[in-house]
Amino acid sequence: MKKNQDQLFAQLLCNDRIGEPDNAIEDRLMYSFLLKNSSSKVKQNSFASFFNWLFSAQSLGLKTGLVSLVLFFSVINNQLNIDAGTITTTDTLFSKRVFVADSTSFIQTLDSIRTDSLN
Amino acid sequence: MRQIVLGDQAAFGELYLRYKSRMYYYFYRMLGNSADLANDFLQELFMKLIEKPESYNPAYSFQTWLYSVANNQCKNEYRRREVRKEYQSAEALEHKLDYLNDSQVEPEQLVEKVFQTLDQLGEEHRSAFLLRYREGFSIREIAEILELPEGTVKSRLFNAKKILAEKLNYLKDEVEF
Repeated sequence: MKKNQDQLFAQLLCNDRIGEPDNAIEDRLMYSFLLKNSSSKVKQNSFASFFNWLFSAQSLGLKTGLVSLVLFFSVINNQLNIDAGTITTTDTLFSKRVFVADSTSFIQTLDSIRTDSLN
Repeated sequence: MRQIVLGDQAAFGELYLRYKSRMYYYFYRMLGNSADLANDFLQELFMKLIEKPESYNPAYSFQTWLYSVANNQCKNEYRRREVRKEYQSAEALEHKLDYLNDSQVEPEQLVEKVFQTLDQLGEEHRSAFLLRYREGFSIREIAEILELPEGTVKSRLFNAKKILAEKLNYLKDEVEF
C-alpha cells in the first residue's frame, strides 16, 4: 500500500508539465560567461598577482633558492668573462694593456741538461 | 565544473541544458507557481555558478550541491516574504483541503491541488516532497540538500504524504496515469 502511494506521487509529479524556461536566459548567461571569462584573462596577463607573491611571505624557501641560484650564476658568469690582461679603471677611461708572455719569467720545471741526459 | 572554471563555454552550455528544466520546475513549484520568479531564480542560480565556480566542492555530488544552492535561494525568498506574509488560518487550510474532494479531477488539476495543499503545509514539506518524488533523491541526499537530519526529512515526508494520501485515496481511482 505504501509503495503504491509512493509510486502514485512519483508518477503524478513526473507527468507534471509546466513548460520551459525563457530562452533569453541562456543568451544572457552565455554573454555573462563570456564577459567573466574575458575579464579573467586580462587579470591573468597583469603582473599584480606575481608581485603579490614575490613580496609576500609565501614560499620563502623557493624564493631563497632562486635568489641563490641567480647570484651563483652571476658570479660564475663574471669570472668566466674576465679578459686576460684587461684592466678597467674607475674613471671611465678604458685602458687595455696586453701583457705579452715574458719568457724570462717562465719557470722551467724540467732541467734541459737532465732532459738531454735522459735521452 | 573543472572545465567551467577554466573558461570552457561549451561545458557551461552543456551544464545549463542538462539542468535548466529541472531547476526551473523546482523554482516554479517552490515559489508559488510563478513562471517569472522561476525564470529570475534560474538565471540567478547559474549566474552564481559563473561568478563563483570555485564555491563548488568536488567532494560532493554536483546535483546535490546545485539543489542545495537553489534551496538556499528559495529560503532567502521566503525570509523576504516573511516580513509581509499574511498567515492563513487553520480554517483556510481546511477549506483548501475540502477543495480536493471535488469529483472528476484531471491529472493537471490534481497536481495543482496537491501543490496547493503542500503550500499550506510549508516550504520545508514542499521541498522534501519535490526532491523525493520529482527528482528521485534518496533520503540521505535530501538531508544533505536541505541541511537537515535524515529523521527530520523522513518525518516531513511522512506528514506531507499523510495529508495528501487522505485526499488522493479518494481521487486516485478517478485519475488515469
